[in-house]
Amino acid sequence: MTTETVSSNPTPAEARRGLGRVTLEVRQRMPAWKHGLILALSLSCGLAIGVAVLWASGVAPKGIYEEFVLYTFFNAKGLANVLVECTPLILVGLSAAMAFRVQFWNIGLEGQLILGGMGAAFFALNDIGPPETRLALMLIGGLAGGALWTVIPLLLKLKLNVNEIISTLLLNYVAFQLLQDRLYGAWQDPDRFPHSPQLESVERLPRIGFGDVDSGIWVALAAGIVVWWLIQRARIGLFMTFVGSNARMSKAIGLPVTAVVAGSVLLSGALSGLAGFVVVAGQEYRLTTTFSGGYLFSGIVIAFLARNNPLAAVVVAFLLGGLYVGGQSIQIFYNLPAGVIDLLQAIIVMSVTASELFVRYRIIWRRA
Amino acid sequence: MSETETDHTDAPVVLALRDITKRFGPLVANDAINLELRRGEILALLGENGAGKTTLMNILFGHYVADEGEVLVEGEVLAEGGDGALVPLEPGSPHAALDAGIGMVHQHFTLAENLTGLENIVLGTGSRLSPRLSTGAARRNVAKLMTRSGLTVDLDVQVTRLTVGEKQRVEILKALYRDARILVMDEPTAVLTPQEAEGLFETVRWLATSGLAVIFIAHKLAEVLAVSDRIAVLRGGKKVGEMARADADRRKIAELMVGRDVPQSRRTPRKPGVPLLELNKVGVAGADARQSLHEVSLTVREGEIVGIAGVSGNGQAALAGVVAGLTVPSTGEMILYGEKVTRFDPRRFSRSGIARIPEDRHHDGVVGAMTVAENVAIEEVRDPAYQRAGFVRSKAIRARAETAIRDYDVRCPGPDAPARLLSGGNIQKLILARVLDRNPRVILANQPTRGLDVGAQTEVHRRLLEARERGAGVLLISEDLDELMIVSDRIAVIHDGRLSEELPTETLDRGTLGLMMAGHRDEEDAA
Repeated sequence: MTTETVSSNPTPAEARRGLGRVTLEVRQRMPAWKHGLILALSLSCGLAIGVAVLWASGVAPKGIYEEFVLYTFFNAKGLANVLVECTPLILVGLSAAMAFRVQFWNIGLEGQLILGGMGAAFFALNDIGPPETRLALMLIGGLAGGALWTVIPLLLKLKLNVNEIISTLLLNYVAFQLLQDRLYGAWQDPDRFPHSPQLESVERLPRIGFGDVDSGIWVALAAGIVVWWLIQRARIGLFMTFVGSNARMSKAIGLPVTAVVAGSVLLSGALSGLAGFVVVAGQEYRLTTTFSGGYLFSGIVIAFLARNNPLAAVVVAFLLGGLYVGGQSIQIFYNLPAGVIDLLQAIIVMSVTASELFVRYRIIWRRA
Repeated sequence: MSETETDHTDAPVVLALRDITKRFGPLVANDAINLELRRGEILALLGENGAGKTTLMNILFGHYVADEGEVLVEGEVLAEGGDGALVPLEPGSPHAALDAGIGMVHQHFTLAENLTGLENIVLGTGSRLSPRLSTGAARRNVAKLMTRSGLTVDLDVQVTRLTVGEKQRVEILKALYRDARILVMDEPTAVLTPQEAEGLFETVRWLATSGLAVIFIAHKLAEVLAVSDRIAVLRGGKKVGEMARADADRRKIAELMVGRDVPQSRRTPRKPGVPLLELNKVGVAGADARQSLHEVSLTVREGEIVGIAGVSGNGQAALAGVVAGLTVPSTGEMILYGEKVTRFDPRRFSRSGIARIPEDRHHDGVVGAMTVAENVAIEEVRDPAYQRAGFVRSKAIRARAETAIRDYDVRCPGPDAPARLLSGGNIQKLILARVLDRNPRVILANQPTRGLDVGAQTEVHRRLLEARERGAGVLLISEDLDELMIVSDRIAVIHDGRLSEELPTETLDRGTLGLMMAGHRDEEDAA
């Protein structure tokens, strides 16, 4: 008996629009396979457009296949590069997903990443603790630095209802200035360049013996599992979804709304901070003025494409890493501008966004 | 099924639905429905939630396209006083419906809240190229409409600041301004107070006498009998009956709607026990009168239902807020199970055995995107039965949901379906399952049957009475006097943030209650 369920009243918000002979009708329910099919179809359309754009810029389909698939995913060196690339991407993607889950629009991933890198560098540059525990302290420093950077927007939001989009965004600039202050001051390398001295070998994440891949990838994957467990399996994850969907009701039925929001946002900051740690200790081996570049946008894109699902975020981060790696070699070998990768990324995001229309509505074509 | 006794049989048909069938997957939402509407006639379309009323109206209005059948409307009236021939309405086009003079007043208003009433009425009617709304001529036309229809509203106030009744008037004016000849009203009284509803009926009757044809979608029998000329009943997507009002009686219609005999809820005598919940001169200083309370005193004892009657917006929200732990009173005290409450915290209240049936069940009762199972279990998820060391035991939650679905007859595709797919009545059953299965000691039921159909209403009453039998104390806030008279042991009236003394239901009648709801208090009468 589904009589009552399916005839749910369409609200004006869902009101369909008639466009001549094309009508949109709100779908009642959709099986998962159909959802997947629609997504796959729109993604294919997006990829086709991407291929067309590259082709028009002088990269033949064969070249595209080689650069983005063959040399990227089916080649040891390429795959290693992808893993290196995706390590911080996984972490910022998880960070964004965690905050977005409770409808806290954390646009401060980069600031938190900078603070995480600085937190890690603090322990390294000051040689705090015995060498054996140095990396562990740096990891904690990364987590703490990132989490700390969410405290101000969190308090502003919870106590004064200040829009977190603005506060987290602006704090990115503050974080950047803080970093500059250190790199032109106390932490400046004796070579007078605006970066810190190199980390000692005990302060570097060991390589795992596959290309340049460092053990940061294990950190990122472990974080993925922890976040997956928290969101999908733990009680707190259920609370997060309820609070994110309807804070007023959650409060009324007695859920610890403030604690859930605060916990999620702090963890989100900590994950971005961890990304700062893996960049600094895994690849750069020093603080630079540019180590945070671009992770804000990537993190949001990953969380969006993964629908805030942690496991999906890991997969999306991996694929996006491949796109960046392939894009870099395209730039070099075909002399294309850097904007091409952003363009491809944007096309993919838009094609997935567009699939929403087909997921939500049934499109009815009628002849006159 | 006689149509012969209406006054409108000679009037021309302005709208005809022929064999309308609409399927959603395996479900037949409308099954070969035939309806005719004549000029100046008020046709009540009755049916329980999910009977297919809204689907049918959505087809009429071009939001859906019927799989079979067609909609015919009266075409151009050529001669003055003449009748237009019936022409097919282009399916799937709200624009065509508007052009054909079909106006719709939705249950959930479609008004731009930050514009004034006038702007809302005029919006979309002028030239699309005109840079601004030209309101001069429009204002005169709307003013004329207002005098003619008797619908008055302040045109220059932002819609946000209007009351629900006023917003509805704006909606109706909007339709009339577009020269609607056929007005469809989707459960227009669901959001109105009894007084406002009475006013609406008068307006609708007046509009009908001036030639408007009205389809009045409803599920409350009393108002249907009060306002309509003819009644059509839908059940399970089929038209199961059609009759003139003169031939209709409540029982017959109720049976047609529900498809079976509707049992009447009845209280059995029961001696109340010790006080569970006491309010002692509780005051709440709200932002406005709607959210304020003044020296409210109240006692709810074991095994009794205390009804709070009143027109909505007289402090019920503040009262419910205090009892749920959401609102901290500024003065007075609340005593729960004999102990003074020192901390107002919804979580504590919920754990100490206060169950809450929220007023706005769609927004405050469930999370639409979450599954039925998650919505059923959310308040109990801390319980070791449903989690171990922070791990959610999804099997236990599913099992719990399956029991709830069965015991409370929640009609849904299954425990994993998102709650937003459920109808209002089934959402309420889901909430009942969630809160009542924990055997609460105090139940706060705020407008628990508003907008529900007869079957679901009876079910809510039965559950509340069952809880009372078990020894729970129920605080029932309602606008429905019939409901209060049926289930409450004692009734108090709330008006302007003040609460009257609770009086045994037997000593009260509708007339007295109505006067008290309108603000006449005993002391004033005595003075």
